[in-house]
Amino acid sequence: MKSLDPRVNRLNLPDNWSSELEKEELDQLATYEVFVQPKEGKPYQHEGIVHASNEDMAFVFAKEQFSRRNTCTGLWVCATQNVMVSELTEAGKSVYEDVSDQNTSQSNGNDKFEVFHLLKRGKQHIHMGRVEAANYDEALIHAKAAFSEGKPALNVWIVKSGHIFHSTLEDVVIWHTLPEKKFRDAIAYKAMDKIKKFKEEQAAS
Amino acid sequence: MTEIALKELLYKIADDQLILGHRNSEWTGLGPLLEEDIAFSSMAQDKVGQSHAFYAILHELGESEPDTIAFMRNADQFHNCQLVELPNGEYDFSLIRHFLFDHAELIRFQMLAESSYEPLSLLAKKLQGEVRYHVMHANTWIKQLGSATDESIKRLQGSLDFALPYALGIFELSPHESSLIDNKIFAGEDALKARWLESIEKVISETQLNLPDATVASPVLGGRTGLHTEHLQPLVEEMSEVFKIDPSADW
Repeated sequence: MKSLDPRVNRLNLPDNWSSELEKEELDQLATYEVFVQPKEGKPYQHEGIVHASNEDMAFVFAKEQFSRRNTCTGLWVCATQNVMVSELTEAGKSVYEDVSDQNTSQSNGNDKFEVFHLLKRGKQHIHMGRVEAANYDEALIHAKAAFSEGKPALNVWIVKSGHIFHSTLEDVVIWHTLPEKKFRDAIAYKAMDKIKKFKEEQAAS
Repeated sequence: MTEIALKELLYKIADDQLILGHRNSEWTGLGPLLEEDIAFSSMAQDKVGQSHAFYAILHELGESEPDTIAFMRNADQFHNCQLVELPNGEYDFSLIRHFLFDHAELIRFQMLAESSYEPLSLLAKKLQGEVRYHVMHANTWIKQLGSATDESIKRLQGSLDFALPYALGIFELSPHESSLIDNKIFAGEDALKARWLESIEKVISETQLNLPDATVASPVLGGRTGLHTEHLQPLVEEMSEVFKIDPSADW
């Protein structure tokens, strides 16, 4: 048997190769969470995950996995292990209902933390803003004071600002030609219209 | 006279992009990691798109339609350097070629952004961002694998030694260099080569790789005047297969 794809035929793959290429368990690279800013002035939103060996690699992968369509003005990546996650609430209850109003910690550390809210099940986490705190628990208390007005947060992510690898102002040009790349969207091909037209032509002939 | 020089410049830029774009697209579905497969394929698509934009300028200057230029020529009518037509080989070679070529392309676009020929300066400015990412991608991989394991360093070094003479062929002098320089259309291949060497040296010095002495290596020339390896004609035939069956094909 030959492949329809000439590139595959050129590889001269052996007929029986499954046993040689068994993968080791857990051979995947670590994961990084990717956040995209779709437009200037809009909040960053979680777009997905890439596997990578470090944050530089995660960034170059994330750029094409999650900002190759529509528009984009900025990109953040953060190792998954550095994202602290709250409980997921049920029935529209806010995570902050169970968070103390009072900061009992005596520390006066001032690390910076980025706060993300999930506002609707099945949607993306959205960046709400930054708080200063000594640790993650304190950051959650400060986040309650700063961001608990409005729609309930069904889940909260907190990330140290220093753990985020981000695009620079000069990098913004890498997305400048995106609006011209409509050919990357399935809709640009008007496939259903073409199928319909083809069927009509078939029926008429 | 200037128009001949300008057309020659546009053809070689566009042909480099089309041929390398097609070569790199051969990795689609076969890349080493899913994320890299998508990134490399996207950049290949960028390159083909860029070639279209340069062919469009050529069309404005009286040459054929972009599709006709791209698909209806034989290998000996292409002006690409031989570097871009070489088979993909293993991923180390494809990465090294990507690194060597894209550094040159980014600097070429930066120089062309100053061109006195406005359609060219506008296009170069517009495309700089895309190539900035391509170079960022190449540098990230070269820095990563250029200092990773004995195998990765040995493989990249072997590919670098092999590819450098071909890469020097990017800067093959045109008979019209002085016309381009005097008319401020393009500051010339020699100026480009000097800046390119500086640019790749900077990245290589951050790895355990050694840049071969570019003053000793003999450049592989001829591509700009239609002299190609045996690998180009099969590529052109495969690339133009659909167009030749049905020139009106669309999807």
